Amino acid sequence: MHEIFVLAEHRQGELRDVTLEMLTLASQLDSKVTAVLLGSGMDAFASKLASFADRVLVVDDPMFANWNAINAQAALVALINKDKPHMVIVPNTGQGADVLASLALELGASFTSDIIGLALEGDKPVATRAYYGGKINGRIEFKDAELYMVGLREGAIPAAEGSKSGAIEKVDNPVAADATDRKFLDYEQPAIGDVDITQSTLLVSVGRGLREDKNMPMVEELAGLMGADVSGSRAVVDAGWLPADRQVGISGKTVKPKLYLALGISGAFQHVTGMKGADLVVAINKDPDAPIFQYADYGIVDDLLKVVPALIDKLKEMKG
Amino acid sequence: MSIEEGTFVQKYDLLGCIQCGRCTGGCPVTVRTPLNVRRFVYDTVDDDVLEELSEKPEIWDCTTCNTCAIRCPKGLEPFEVLLGLRAMRAEEGNIEPTAITALESMFNNGNPWGKPAAKRMDWAEGLDGVRILEEGEKADVLLHICCTAAYDPKIQPFVGKLITILNAAGVDFGLIGEEEKHCGSEARRLGEEGLFEYFDEENTELFGRYDVQRLVTLSPHCFNSFKNEYTNLSIPVLHYTQLIAELIEDGKLELSKEVATKVVFHDPCYLGKKNLVFDEPRYILSKIPGVETTEFFRSKERSLCCEGGGGKMWVESESKAPRLAETRVADAHDLGAQTIAVACPFCWLTIEDAIKAKGYEEEMQVKDILELLGEAL
Amino acid sequence: MNIVVCVKQVPDTSDPDTEVHIDGTGRGVDQSKFSFVINDADNYAVEEAILLKEKHGGEVTVVNIGSEAANQVIRMALAKGGDGAIRLDDEKFAGSDPVALARILQAGIKDLSCDIVMTGCLASDDGYGAVGVALASLMGLPHAAYVKTVEVLSDNKLKIGRELEGGLLEMDEIVTPCVLTIQTGGNEPRYASFKGIREASKKEIKVMDLPATGLSEDQVGEAGSVAVMVQYSVPEVGDLAEILEGDPGETAGKLAGILKDKGLV
Ligand SMILES: Cc1cc2nc3c(=O)[nH]c(=O)nc-3n(C[C@H](O)[C@H](O)[C@H](O)COP(=O)(O)OP(=O)(O)OC[C@H]3O[C@@H](n4cnc5c(N)ncnc54)[C@H](O)[C@@H]3O)c2cc1C
Ligand code: SF4
Ligand code: SF4
Repeated sequence: MHEIFVLAEHRQGELRDVTLEMLTLASQLDSKVTAVLLGSGMDAFASKLASFADRVLVVDDPMFANWNAINAQAALVALINKDKPHMVIVPNTGQGADVLASLALELGASFTSDIIGLALEGDKPVATRAYYGGKINGRIEFKDAELYMVGLREGAIPAAEGSKSGAIEKVDNPVAADATDRKFLDYEQPAIGDVDITQSTLLVSVGRGLREDKNMPMVEELAGLMGADVSGSRAVVDAGWLPADRQVGISGKTVKPKLYLALGISGAFQHVTGMKGADLVVAINKDPDAPIFQYADYGIVDDLLKVVPALIDKLKEMKG
Repeated sequence: MSIEEGTFVQKYDLLGCIQCGRCTGGCPVTVRTPLNVRRFVYDTVDDDVLEELSEKPEIWDCTTCNTCAIRCPKGLEPFEVLLGLRAMRAEEGNIEPTAITALESMFNNGNPWGKPAAKRMDWAEGLDGVRILEEGEKADVLLHICCTAAYDPKIQPFVGKLITILNAAGVDFGLIGEEEKHCGSEARRLGEEGLFEYFDEENTELFGRYDVQRLVTLSPHCFNSFKNEYTNLSIPVLHYTQLIAELIEDGKLELSKEVATKVVFHDPCYLGKKNLVFDEPRYILSKIPGVETTEFFRSKERSLCCEGGGGKMWVESESKAPRLAETRVADAHDLGAQTIAVACPFCWLTIEDAIKAKGYEEEMQVKDILELLGEAL
Repeated sequence: MNIVVCVKQVPDTSDPDTEVHIDGTGRGVDQSKFSFVINDADNYAVEEAILLKEKHGGEVTVVNIGSEAANQVIRMALAKGGDGAIRLDDEKFAGSDPVALARILQAGIKDLSCDIVMTGCLASDDGYGAVGVALASLMGLPHAAYVKTVEVLSDNKLKIGRELEGGLLEMDEIVTPCVLTIQTGGNEPRYASFKGIREASKKEIKVMDLPATGLSEDQVGEAGSVAVMVQYSVPEVGDLAEILEGDPGETAGKLAGILKDKGLV
């Protein structure tokens, strides 16, 4: 049976969800799944990963307390050269993308980045990637190689429940000296309070369909539950319900969130121009012909004053 | 930008100013912004402060409505000073991101809306009677559509109306097609003199390819640029209202259906105050059966700007005071008008928005004259 | 501080009205209705390079792999403050994956002495986000991906901020020469005035074809790639919004489920 290495991702004491997504994907490929955990004080993560992997390979050393692409690459090269897995999956994230190409080139691996699907056809992997902002997909075939590597897009594959009970294997840090060419310093949290909606990952955006200022608290409650920021159309900014820096559109901000939830926004050309880069658009609007539905992935044709409170309830339920 | 000494003084004839203040006195945006155009005319005499003046945010508040120019007893064009200051900003590359997007799209796509040039004719899908001229082809009228009309789904339907009307009147007309480009008006208003000159050259060359008698525009903004600002364009330029008024007068266009509505006409600045075309739109309205007309207190030369021009589509004022378009809509409401008639895509958009903002959707509508004509045909 | 900045010209498919149609070969798309722009992240890379030059001196060289049409984005970068440009243009480059692209770029810039090589962190059309890191590896230089802030600490040391998920900045020190892949949002790309672009047209764009790069045919294009896109397909999701049916309780429930599935709540 082939072996697949999965590079676990953690940050500031938290194991990131993409790790379980990668392990889920690897488990679907009929292979021996090895989670590779580089970090410092990794016992808890190691036991968690054991239920998603056949083996957890742990390098527990202060050198890996924080991400450093050079140290990580050196460690991975040593581990991979020793165990010779068939494939390595890394997350296509700020960490994974920081190492995928250079690691693959050093190892002579055939690789591709930002995949959304992966299968094995015979011995060889075949990957699916998105092109043109997700408008079309492409099938990727690899040059024959000893080793294949891919970077998996976050959220592309839902994580399954862990049903394995892999062995935890601690190995000595194979990297002799801490990197000098690049050093981790610290983290800077994004400024809070003064929201820059162009940087928001989730946006709840309101339009004139909100009707009255007094409905704003309801929207803020929804956004709060979702961890989203609130933006709006020019109509609501004009009405003074939101400050000007929250306006989306040609004369406002151009936003590129992962989710744009448009509440009572008609989808005027001038507005849409500012939000067309959003990954997922959901629109709630009473008017089935509102142009916003042409730009939305999901739509609800109904009164937002009814749907939003119901949504708040559902989200509260989900959070328990 | 390195400004050569005295450039401003000469270019805008600043020494001709007697500081009477009529310009600022008539400037409509003073009710919502700190803009004082007289002060700029005074201050820009000193080359050393130009840089500093160009950084004042209010230079972007001017809608280029031309009121100040109309009122100036010395025949100056005070607002041009503001455009000169904008040009300094543009040349340094230091302008609002929204304006950058629009200008880069003009350069890349020939329109400010970020739309591919290859989709410029999409509005014509399924329409009959659209003739795209070949090089050297003969026609009486070359019809210029305008970027907003070509791409904004709210305005696109008017183009179809205009096509139907011209065909009904038997006009021999043709279009440029996908190669049609922005007129450059908004480029210039956003301070991009260089880009404007580029459009001047490109369009003059383009229009010269056809054997046509007259150039007719849908938008007053294109009309103004072609007519007054292009350096070497020799064909006569008309706004569509002028052509249609002529067709009605010549008995070529029959308006038979009743359009029962009370209409007030909002003069587009670039048609009215800038080019003194006041009568033709009113004449057309008077010929539509059933239409009852009324006039704004502030009309014609004194007409209130809707803030749609002057690059304002892309640069928002910080002011929280009601938009001028809202004042305009409130005035129309007081007059009991059911329809605010316009003859400009920008006016249509700003006024539609203001009607919604005032919550008058049930009581009144904005309609381009082309829509009213379409109903009457 | 000499900087090389790599820029790509991409179709502007962000416009919601732009349709992407797969062509007859199944391996390309119909480009006839596209408009073309500089890749968003590359635009920020250009700005970062010019800001550094303005502060610390040196030269900025703009490098592109593309046909003559790409002169448009090169000239814009030159107008903003670039000093020289190289365009790598050969039919044989078509179909290159990030490894082959990095190899071509490396060959194009090998004679330049530079302190920082910048690329955008991701191209909006193919979305690989791997060329810069591959280039660093080929050049044997340290690198950092997703860089949003750059500060010069000393002659050979930078302090950089890498933007991670959720907007968190990871601050690192990195020695030069190095390769940085630049994330959007760290600066405000300036406007290249038309006059500036016209003037920039006078600056020479050095064009290099395959022989000029010294590479062989099997090092570029599909032959030089480790992974090849062989077939496009249309993803299942439809064009119009999928309308969730039901009373407010039901639709809200469905929506909550979707958001949860997508990991958004
Ligand atoms: C110069 C200029 C620049 C502009 N710049 C911008 C800009 O930067 N950004 C911008 O957003 N706009 C801009 N606009 C305005 C733009 O044209 C639209 O007017 C504006 O976006 C409309 O905002 P809206 O969708 O909130 O309101 P509307 O168009 O009024 O839409 C309200 C929507 O809410 C729906 N609705 C009503 N009640 C309910 C309910 N109870 N439940 C659910 N749905 C309901 C309606 O069906 C309707 O679709 C600009 C316009 C101009 C002229
Ligand atoms: S053009 Fe109009 S808005 Fe501009 S300064 Fe003159 S009067 Fe004021
Ligand atoms: S109206 Fe004319 S003369 Fe009077 S202050 Fe203004 S610019 Fe000067």
